[in-house]
Amino acid sequence: MTAAEADEVPTPASSWTVRTRTRLSRTVPPGQLLPDRQPAYMASWIYVFGMLTIAALLVVVATGVVLAMGGVAWWHVSPTGHFVNSLHLWSVELFFAFMVIHLWGKFWMAAWRGNRALTWMTGVVAFLASIGTAFTGYLSQSNFDAQWISTQAKDGLNAVGVGAYFNVLNPGQMLLWHVTLLPLAIGVIVALHLVLVRRHGIVPPIDAEAPADDAATATGGAR
Amino acid sequence: MGSSVVLADPAGRYISAGVIQISLTNAIIIGLMLVVFALAILVPFPRHRRHDRRDGDA
Repeated sequence: MTAAEADEVPTPASSWTVRTRTRLSRTVPPGQLLPDRQPAYMASWIYVFGMLTIAALLVVVATGVVLAMGGVAWWHVSPTGHFVNSLHLWSVELFFAFMVIHLWGKFWMAAWRGNRALTWMTGVVAFLASIGTAFTGYLSQSNFDAQWISTQAKDGLNAVGVGAYFNVLNPGQMLLWHVTLLPLAIGVIVALHLVLVRRHGIVPPIDAEAPADDAATATGGAR
Repeated sequence: MGSSVVLADPAGRYISAGVIQISLTNAIIIGLMLVVFALAILVPFPRHRRHDRRDGDA
């Protein structure tokens, strides 16, 4: 085989990078990822709560990173640590409040319409994973409250057979679930949720007409 | 001695209605969330004039 023949052998379509690029561009075509215009029906405060939830999540993660650097005892013995711990708690409270209002809004507008079932389900999974993360966070407080919650929860979790793998009486295991596994899961699910929202566009109100196609959603359609 | 004071604190007020029992704090928070939800639907969203100008240009 000559060098010239070797150059002709690989076809672009067989390359995994080409296939990945094609798949990504089909999933979220250019212009849909970060659109600068949206349909007119999005001009409502109820559409703001998804992004408020993301904003609260970013504060949760940022304060959690600071708490992780300070260590378990830091938020009990240091005024600064106590302050960051409070920021972490209250951003979580806002995160859940915004997420539940977002859920109410999407439920009452039947947001799974228009081939958006996977968007809805990733939201459901993100909600459930968030509850698990908050639960392990309460178990990681290293105080009497954490002890009380863990001893109340252990019987229920043992009854369903997960105690051997998810032991709420093991604070080290719960802390690692809280700061690594569950945040990673939430990050992946939320990213997928956002990609799906961008791919299918914002769900229109029940009595409104959606833009003619996805491109119209991405570039604005009706204003 | 501070911790004994904390432990002796009452557990809070609860609202009971049959099998439903909820702390007053949680009930107030849920009520406030419902108010925010209603406001989010009823309060008009401000319009961007910049987009209007773009439409005129187009």
